[in-house]
Formats: sequence, structure tokens, C-alpha cells
Amino acid sequence: MTTSRRLRVALAGNPNAGKSTVFNALTGARQHVGNWPGKTVEKKEGYYRYRDLVVEIVDLPGTYSLSAYSPEERIAQEFITEEHPDVVVNVVDASNLERNLYLTAQLLEIGVPMILVLNMADVAEQLGYKIDLGRFARLVGVPVLAAVASKDIGMEALREQIHHAAEAPEFHTPPAHVLQYDHELEKAVRRLTAALENLSDLEGYRPRWLAVKLIEGDGQARRVVSRAPGGEAVLTLLQKVMHNLQRVYGEDVDIALADARYAFVRGLARQVLTLPQHPPRTLSDRIDQIVTHRWLGIPLFLFFMYLMFSLVQNVSAPFMDWIDAVVSGPITTWTLAGLLALHAPPWLVSLVVDGAIAGVGSVLTFVPSLMVMFFALAFMEDSGYLARAAFVMDKAMAFLGLNGRAFIPMILGFGCNVPAVYATRTIENRGARILTGLLIPFMSCSARLPVYVVFGMAFFGKDAGLVVWSLYLVGIVVAALAGWLLSTLVFTDVHKSVFVLELPRYRLPTWQGLWLHTWEHTSEFIRKAGTVILGIAILLWFLLNLPWGVQNPGESYFGKVSHALAPLYEPAGFGTWQAAGALLSGFVAKEVVISTMSQIYIGEQETQPDAPPRLHPLEDARTIVAGFGEAAWNAGKALLDSLTPGIRLFPQTAGSAENQTALSRALHKAFTPLSALAFLVYVLLYTPCMATVSAQMQEYGWQWALFSIGLGLTTAWVLATAVFQIGRLLGAG
Amino acid sequence: MSLEHTLPLTMLPPGRPARVVEVRAGRQLRDRLAGMGLVPGRVVRVLRDNGGPLLVAVGETRLAVGRGMAHKILVTETALQGEPAR
Repeated sequence: MTTSRRLRVALAGNPNAGKSTVFNALTGARQHVGNWPGKTVEKKEGYYRYRDLVVEIVDLPGTYSLSAYSPEERIAQEFITEEHPDVVVNVVDASNLERNLYLTAQLLEIGVPMILVLNMADVAEQLGYKIDLGRFARLVGVPVLAAVASKDIGMEALREQIHHAAEAPEFHTPPAHVLQYDHELEKAVRRLTAALENLSDLEGYRPRWLAVKLIEGDGQARRVVSRAPGGEAVLTLLQKVMHNLQRVYGEDVDIALADARYAFVRGLARQVLTLPQHPPRTLSDRIDQIVTHRWLGIPLFLFFMYLMFSLVQNVSAPFMDWIDAVVSGPITTWTLAGLLALHAPPWLVSLVVDGAIAGVGSVLTFVPSLMVMFFALAFMEDSGYLARAAFVMDKAMAFLGLNGRAFIPMILGFGCNVPAVYATRTIENRGARILTGLLIPFMSCSARLPVYVVFGMAFFGKDAGLVVWSLYLVGIVVAALAGWLLSTLVFTDVHKSVFVLELPRYRLPTWQGLWLHTWEHTSEFIRKAGTVILGIAILLWFLLNLPWGVQNPGESYFGKVSHALAPLYEPAGFGTWQAAGALLSGFVAKEVVISTMSQIYIGEQETQPDAPPRLHPLEDARTIVAGFGEAAWNAGKALLDSLTPGIRLFPQTAGSAENQTALSRALHKAFTPLSALAFLVYVLLYTPCMATVSAQMQEYGWQWALFSIGLGLTTAWVLATAVFQIGRLLGAG
Repeated sequence: MSLEHTLPLTMLPPGRPARVVEVRAGRQLRDRLAGMGLVPGRVVRVLRDNGGPLLVAVGETRLAVGRGMAHKILVTETALQGEPAR
């Protein structure tokens, strides 16, 4: 057992072929199962043990081919050829053989040990397809297995086969001449292959594959050959060969190569696949008849969106109450009890309870609504609907200078801007990618919702729901205008970007897939609450209480900086240091706005009636600590209470007296309904959070990240000011 | 074959099978479309045309093809219901 052998396996396949499902079934690793093309852009790794083997699995990006133009294709090709995995498992959608086998043909040419997995064999069977596996394996020269990864069918056989590949790689290596080209092309390939075979060091590459890739103009193959001693002669020969080929095929040599591969694939399919006499009209096509309908498409999409948001509100509310109760109840009491037992000094109690627990607790309360949101988005994505939404919305997106592809990241932005920014990777045109990334922050993410809710409840009563909806709408309208402006002025070439997207067959998402997807994003949020937000809450507590012994938070360091910023917001109607401070901390994460406000306002109120006296004898100290703790606990409870009613966006007005919590009372003193509205508009539009900025920096470079910050701050300030000033002219506030 | 006239995919009436004759695009895009099954010789069908992108059937694959792109895919109508390869 001490020396278990290691085996490296690469998973390759088309998007939507169920590669991620196979990965999950093999490793049980937690990762996302997507359903729109190109979702698995990142390299994912996992491992499992099987007998004497430790099998490492690398999930390669889903690609339709290996032409090495897109980053995904380059990653996949270079991993297979340079990292030398022991086996490549090619996952193929059995219900869509021909299209999927194009990639298989390219993989076979590379000549590494391979196993073919015909996934979704159940779907193929339902469609009446019959596949001759034995014949298939003989024709391609590598083992072929049927599987239904989502039901764990065929996975044990795959593990067994992978184990076998470790023992006998020669049985898994496809023959060099499995794929023959057109007459002239084949001649050229053979000429180059012969020349390459004379070279001494090809770094383990198969000469025939290099020959094909040289003709294709592949940079990697060129580099390998030019590195090899004597490689220059081959490159000279290549020039001659290409000259001849171009006489025959013109500029379409690549198309001739693709043709030959499709001819191979078609021949293969004809020999192994028996189609039913009368192919049934699939359910998927019938659903598409309705979902992509000229008049029904957009209303249906809007209905689904409405459904999602109302689910987020209604389903999550009871859970939010529950978390609220747990945080404000047991967690706070036990922490207090623990601190008291340890004779913690009052400042520490205040730090933990007012700072850490109140800060993080108020953020954690939103976990249920986030989970519901992520679940709904995962359902749309995994079922295949999101790709249809992109189809339906393409025309509307054209107004922003973008196409339907950009629509998916934008929708994801309603959940969280950070994954949305990463999702723009699937847009090929760089300008369109950056433009989408700049518009995403205007999609009101779920972290902004708590701010709307608290203010909505405090100022707009039964109209709170309407206010929140209008804010989402304002975000969309601003994105549309900004998109239109930027695509006309800056990104003038994005109109030329092409829109081609596979609409995968509808499928019922698996619970495992949905759960993994939901949990991946939720745990990320919880981790953020436990680290970044906890850190900020603690830091803020110190900034609010330093220099040591300040009685009024306004005189603290934080207060001073905020005071300096406040005049900037004067024209927008909320030029108070508290508002400026909350916005300042909200730059790190929007969830923090509310926890900052409660620390500032409630801290302010407490210090007035009974400021904690100095410590005297031990006996007194205990009662003082207990009393202070109780006060803090009540304040913390009041804070959490204030968040509770707001969770229902359409609450009954009956309990409004109870809803007048400490925070909303404090807000009433500081804001008028008009300035509150301006404040909300500002919160909607300015930089969403540090995490989004760093994602933008990573994806588009720091210049664009800075541009995005500037764009957000400017639009936010201009619009908030406009709301306040116009409102005042109209006699409001 | 060569006598039949070609037309862009955008002009093809929905539901009628047609064979791809040419994809007028840069190499990169052409190769990507090839990977998705859109190569000369393939039989395609427009399933839906709402004036925006086209919903195109290529074998078992369903593709949303933007109008601009679809304009550069030249096809010729064919009487065959399926692909001759089958």
C-alpha cells in the first residue's frame, strides 16, 4: 500500500457531452456541472483510488475541436500533447455521435492511449439509436464503453478500463493511419511524415500528427519541429508542400482537412450506428417550438425571471428568519456566556458582539436567499434553458452592441457579479468581452438587496417592493444606455462579433449537479462572510472606537475620514459622515453597508444614555460586563430584528410599530424618503465590491478595472444627484 | 450540383433541408463552425427565424446562429430529407 502507483487521466470532450458529470461520478469531487457551451473553462482536477492505483483526473475544457485558436482548445491540446497524461478519456454524447466524433478524430490522430466513453447512452436508446460497440472499438482501435454518468451506469467499467490502460497502454493506443485524407492531402501528409521520421528528437510526438498539424498551420507543432535537430529542412519542405496544396485547394486547405475528418466520422457513424426508420420528433424540439416562439419567447423568459425572483423572496424568507433566530439567539448568548466566563473586558465583548457577530450575522442572514437564487440559476443553466434565453434575447442585446452570448453572464450578474465576470470568457471577441464585463456591475447583485430592503422598509412601507423592482430596472436601463454609448464610442468593432451557440438538448438537471452548483457559490459567499466581511467588521469596530476612548463614533478615525468625504455627497442629499462611511465600507462588499450603518448609528445611540463606566472592583466589573453585554445583546437583537421584516418585500403593515427598530429609527433621523432613494440609486450603481474589481483586473487588465470603477462612481453620483435634485424641484423630500 | 443556385442561410425558408456550400468567414471562425458541424457538404435546416438569430438543425445539433453569421453561410436547397451518408 505504501507504493501505490499514480496514473494521470485527462477527460476530453465536447461541451454538453456530460464530461463534468463523468468527472463527478469518478471522483465525487465538488465541482460545477454546466450546460451551456464552454462553461468549464478552468482546469479541474480530482482523484480516486482503484486497487493499487491512485488515479488523478484532469477535466479539460469542453471543446468542439482542437484547432488551437481559442484558449480552451489550446489548453486541451497542449495538455494532452505536452503533459503526457497516461490515458485520455474522451467523453462523447451518444445521442449526437457525428458532431462529437469530430473531436474524437483529432484525438485519435495525436496517438495517445485513449478510452472512448459513449455517455448518455439512455438518451440514444430512447431515440431508437443502436450502436455496435464491438465494431466501433475495432474501427477506432481503442476501447469503447457505453455509459450513463448521471445514473452512475458504466462508471465501474470505466474505472476498470482505466486500470487496464495502466497495465497495457498498447491496447489503448490508436493506430497511426486510422484516419486517411483526401488524395493530394494524404500525399502531402505522408511526405512530411517521412521527413519527420528521419529526425532524431521529436519529443515523443507522433510524426504523422505533427505533419497534419504543420499543414494546419499549428504553432505548437511548428515550435516542436523547429526545436528538433534538422527540423529546418522539414519546414522548408512544408513550404513546398503547402505551395502545392494551395494550387489544389486554394486557401481552403483547412477546410479540406476538416472535410476528411468529417468523411471519416460519417463513415464511422454509418458503420456503427443504426438509426430508426422514422426518427421521432424529440421532446426537446417540441419544447423549443414554444420557448423560442416569435411572440411567446420573450414573455416566457420574463415570466421565468419573475418566477425566479419571487422564489428568492418567498422560499427563502422562513429560512432567513431561522438563521436570524439562531444567530441572534444561541450564537450570541453562548458567545456572551463564554466571554463572560473568561472575564473578557467590555471592549472585547463589544468587539465580538457588536463588531464580529452583528456584522457577519447580518450578512449570513442572506445566505438562504442567495442559495435559492443560485439554485434557480443552476436549474436554468443545467436544464438547457439559459442557452434558449440567449437565443431569444439576442435581438435585444444587439442594442447594447452585444449579442446573445453576452446575455448569460449578465443574467448571472443578478446572482453575483464575480462569477458573471468570469463567465464572459466564453465570448470570443475581446471588445465584446470587456464591454460585457463593464456592464455586469450594473446588474443588481443579491448583495445589494439587503440595503434596498432595509431602506425600503424604513421609508417606503408598502411601496418597498415597487422601489426594489424599480432599482433592478434602473440598473438594466443604465446598462443598456452605457452599453449603447460604449459600443458606439469605444468598442466600435463589437458589432462584428459573431454569435454561434449550441442549444443543448433539454435535460432534467440532477440533484447532485444542482446541489454542487448551488453549494459552490454559496460556500464561496460563506467563506467571504467568514473572512473578508469578518475582517472588515472587526477593522470597522476598531476604526469606530479609536482613538481609544472616543465617546462618539463621529470623532473616531473612521468618522474623520467619512466626514472628509461627506461634502461630496451633499448634492445627492446624503452628505452625512455616516452615509459616506457606509458607502466607503461598501466598496469592499455591498453586504457591509448595512452592518456598518448599524454599527455607526446604534453605537451612536448607545453611548448617549449609559456610557460604560470605568472598571472598579471585581464584583462590579462582573455586573457591568453582564449589563453591557445585555445591552449589546439587545442592540444586536434589535439590529437583526430590523433586518427580519425587511426580508419580506411585501409585508403586512400591521406590525409596523415593531418594525421600527433602532436602525430604522436612526435612518429616519438621517434621511428623507427622497435622499434615501438617491442613496439607494448610488448603492445600486457604484462599484459592487473588491472581488468584482479583482475579477475584472484578472480578466481584462487593471486599466479596464479602473475604468469600471470610474464608470460606476460617475454614473452613481450623477444619477443619485439627478434623483435628489429633480425630486426636490418636484417638491418631494 | 453546380447548376443549382446558392443562397445565404438567412434566405432559406424554415423547414427546408439545404446543403452547406460555403462558409465565408475567417479561418478561425470557419474552424470553430466546423467543430460544431457546420462544414460544406452538411445538410442543415432552419427551425426558426424570428428576424433575429436563426435556430439551425445540423444533424442532432441545434445551433443559434447570429444573423450576420448566417448571412455568410451559403447553402443550396436539396430535395433530400436526410444526409446521403445515411
